[in-house]
Amino acid sequence: MSKVIVVTSGKGGVGKTTSSAAFAAGLAAKGHKTAVIDFDVGLRNLDLIMGVERRVVYDFVNVINGEATLKQALIKDKRVDNLYILPASQTRDKDALSKEGVESVINELKKEFEFIVCDSPAGIEKGAFMALYFADEAIIVTNPEVSSVRDSDRILGILQSRSKAAEDGKTVKEHLLITRYSPDRVEGGDMLGMDDIVEILSVPLIGVIPESGSVLQASNSGNPVIMDKDSEAGQAYQDVVARFLGEEVPLRFIDVEPKKGFFQKLFG
Amino acid sequence: MKLKGEMSMLNVLHVQELDLEKLCAELEQKRDEAPQFFMKSPIIVDCSDLGDAAEQLDFSLLRQKLLELGFIPVGIRNNPVEMNARLVDAGWAIMRESRASTATSTAASTETSESGVAAETNQQPQDTVSEEQVAPQAAAPVGIKSLTIDRPVRSGQQVYAADADMTVLAQTSAGSEIMADGSIHVYGPLRGRVLAGARGNEQARIFCSSLQAELIAIAGRYQLLDESDTELKGKPAMIRLDGEKLIIEPLAH
Repeated sequence: MSKVIVVTSGKGGVGKTTSSAAFAAGLAAKGHKTAVIDFDVGLRNLDLIMGVERRVVYDFVNVINGEATLKQALIKDKRVDNLYILPASQTRDKDALSKEGVESVINELKKEFEFIVCDSPAGIEKGAFMALYFADEAIIVTNPEVSSVRDSDRILGILQSRSKAAEDGKTVKEHLLITRYSPDRVEGGDMLGMDDIVEILSVPLIGVIPESGSVLQASNSGNPVIMDKDSEAGQAYQDVVARFLGEEVPLRFIDVEPKKGFFQKLFG
Repeated sequence: MKLKGEMSMLNVLHVQELDLEKLCAELEQKRDEAPQFFMKSPIIVDCSDLGDAAEQLDFSLLRQKLLELGFIPVGIRNNPVEMNARLVDAGWAIMRESRASTATSTAASTETSESGVAAETNQQPQDTVSEEQVAPQAAAPVGIKSLTIDRPVRSGQQVYAADADMTVLAQTSAGSEIMADGSIHVYGPLRGRVLAGARGNEQARIFCSSLQAELIAIAGRYQLLDESDTELKGKPAMIRLDGEKLIIEPLAH
């Protein structure tokens, strides 16, 4: 039974695409056949982050319009087996996404893939709505600041009232992913703390990604940051994937002193 | 039988342009923001923004479109008088003009004979649909119905318990709005807007385990929590109406 997971946030620039790329690559690296779809029609970025921008021939909108087959449009990742990317169209706008069209693409993907990751555009308009409509589960990406948290709350409301699952009387399983977390700045009072965010949103936490230069480097070089096994952000994303797959993994990189980790707190 | 003039809560659609397609698209979007609230809800059409241009609008088509969108069109008001006969033929009831521009929240409760006409408490001309609430002459009967919400009410969501009390077992977020014709109980943190006695029941109360609301209201009397000097912010509290004043009291001792 395949699962559709939307990565969404409401607010822009919080790390949806970075997280989608890392999450999809992480699932694939663990042996799960995964497709990641860029729903940001007109502002496509996922292909850049995944380093496949020069391999795009056909895109999501071409498939919806029947101008190409899904097989033609899917780009197979060269680094990770089991990972495929469906890029957005750069020359169209969100109106090119029809509910029927998106549904047929997702249904076709479901036949072959275990996980389908939908990288949502920012906002609560058509693109974001289409990305979440068919979701079984959702990863809500939030930065530790009030407007991002507020927007995440808004998108959670839409998710549970206007998605297909909601229309069918079911719920979409929610996961909270806090990105760009800087324990120093939380300590200094500049940023919302992890516990505050969880309290405001009351959604189970799936991971905390520390603010890290390696994320930017990874993006610019077109390698999902999860592949950088030395970076804290990369390791934190691996933990996220492990937790998503049901493993119990303690949180890391959430305290100011790297030595005083979760275990020390627990046992020391 | 009894036939009485009473006021009810009605949605008023302020038509501001002649493009029906656009109007219906906007209205559909609005409806989808709170489908349970709007589904099969009565609606009146107000033409005051159109003036004489209303002549050019196809009101039978508008009526049909409203029905298709799941509203129940009940009447029309502020239309050019010459159109009355035509509108009645098209299936509309002509409503007497409201005192829209001058009404205040308390003026409505002194009205005695305006049967069936919604007097406005506040007007939001920028919105296509505004919810208007009315204080009826007699307190509305509190139903024994109850609406229970067991999931968080998120920012931007609106939940309305018509003729009923409401119980929320989860939190309500900043930027959300919960309304009930009866009382409201919230067992998670109450952070959004909360309006009890939405159709004028002055006996309605608000109970919450952690009072962090943005705005509290009972029977149309409202207060921003930040403008209140209560010491019960973040604590269990009960809110009731005493005359024109909202009283916030501790809930647990």
